[in-house]
Amino acid sequence: MVSITEGIIHLVTAGIGALGFSLIFNVRKELLPAAAFGGFLDWGVYMMAEWFFGGGVFLPSVVAAAFASLYAEAMARVEKTPATVFYIPALIPLIPGGSLYYTMSYAVMGQWDLVQSYGASTAYCALGIAVGMSLVLSVEYTFHKLTAQKR
Amino acid sequence: MKNHAELLSGFLDMAEAMLMAGAEVSRVEDTITRMGLAYGASNMNVFVITSCIIITMEIPEGEDLTQTRRVLMAGGTDFLKLEKFNDLSRRCCAGQVEAAALSEEVRQIAALSPRRWRMYLGSVLAAGGFAVFFGGTIIDGLVAALFALLICALQEKLLPLSMNQMSFNLLCSVIVGVLTGICTNFLTFLHLDKIMIGYIMLLIPGMAMTNAVRNILGGNTISGVMRLIEAVLWAAALALGFMIAMFITGGGLHH
Repeated sequence: MVSITEGIIHLVTAGIGALGFSLIFNVRKELLPAAAFGGFLDWGVYMMAEWFFGGGVFLPSVVAAAFASLYAEAMARVEKTPATVFYIPALIPLIPGGSLYYTMSYAVMGQWDLVQSYGASTAYCALGIAVGMSLVLSVEYTFHKLTAQKR
Repeated sequence: MKNHAELLSGFLDMAEAMLMAGAEVSRVEDTITRMGLAYGASNMNVFVITSCIIITMEIPEGEDLTQTRRVLMAGGTDFLKLEKFNDLSRRCCAGQVEAAALSEEVRQIAALSPRRWRMYLGSVLAAGGFAVFFGGTIIDGLVAALFALLICALQEKLLPLSMNQMSFNLLCSVIVGVLTGICTNFLTFLHLDKIMIGYIMLLIPGMAMTNAVRNILGGNTISGVMRLIEAVLWAAALALGFMIAMFITGGGLHH
C-alpha cells in the first residue's frame, strides 16, 4: 500500500510515461492529451483495485486492463479513431518493468528464490493484463452481436 | 482478370504496411476481408501471421486468386499511420477509392515517417517518468532521461547495422549498462536499479509479450507463440547484456 504523496507521484509519473510512449508511438497531436490521461486514469484504477483486493498483482492488472479497454472504446467513439490509439498508452504503466528488472538482476546474482518470486509476479502481471483485455473483447463482441440481432 | 490480380497485390501492400506500422494480426485480417468484399469478391480468405500474409480472393464467375507476401521487417508502432489506413479502408468500403489507385494511396501513407524529435522527447519523458514511478528520486529520473537520449541515438545508428533486434538489445544493454555502472560508481547518491528500470521500459518487449498472450487467448495461436518466443529472447538478450555490464563495472546490479 502506498501513502497519498506516493500515490500522487505515481499518478503523475504514470501520466508522463504514457505521454512519452504516445509520442514514441506517433499518436496524433490532437489525441495526445486524452492518450496520456488514459495512463494517469488507468493507474488510478489499478491503485484502487489494489486497495480493494488487498494487494497482489493479478486481479488489479485484470481490472485495470479491462478499464483501459473500456476507456479506449469510449474515447474511440468520441474521436472516431481506432481504440488501440488510446488503449496501448493507457496500458503502459501496467507493464511490470520493475519486477522484470529484479527477476533478471537476481538471476545474475544467483538468488534463485527471489528470481522465482519476482518472475512469478512478472508473469502474473502479463497474464492479468491479457485476461483483462480478452474479457472486455469477448463481452463486447457478444454485446455487438446481440444489439445487431435486435435491430 | 488482370484487374483483380492488381487489386490483390494492392491488398497485400496494404496488409504489409499495416503490419509494419504495428497493427494487430486480427485487425489486418478483418480490414482486408472487408475491403475484398467491398470490391466485389464473393469470399475472402485472409491468413496473416507477423511474418507472412496469404490472401485468396474468390471472384464470382472467375478463378480464385491467391497471392502471398513474406514480411521480413518488423516495424515500430505508428498510430498516425494506423489511423490513416483505417480511414483508407473506410473509404474503400464506401466505394470512394478506385481499385487502381489503392496501391498508390498505400505507398503514400507507408512513406510517411514520424518526426525524430517525437521519438527523442517521448523516450526522455518515458524513461524519466518511469524511473520516478518505480521509486527513484528526481535526480534518478533526470539521469535516466539522459541515458534515454543515448538509447535513441543507438536505435537510430546501431539498429540498422545490427543483425536483428536480439543482437541490438545485447549490444545496447552492454553499452548503456556499463556507462550507468560507471556513473553510479562515482555518484553514489544515484540509484542504479531505478535508473535502469526507467530506461529499460523503452527496451523491454512488455507490450509485445502482452499482445502475444492476447493473440494466444484470442485464437491467433501461431502469431502469439512466435511473438512470445521473440519477446522472451529479446528480454533474455537484455538480461545477458546487463549481466556483462555488471561484470565489467563490478558490484551488484543494485545497491
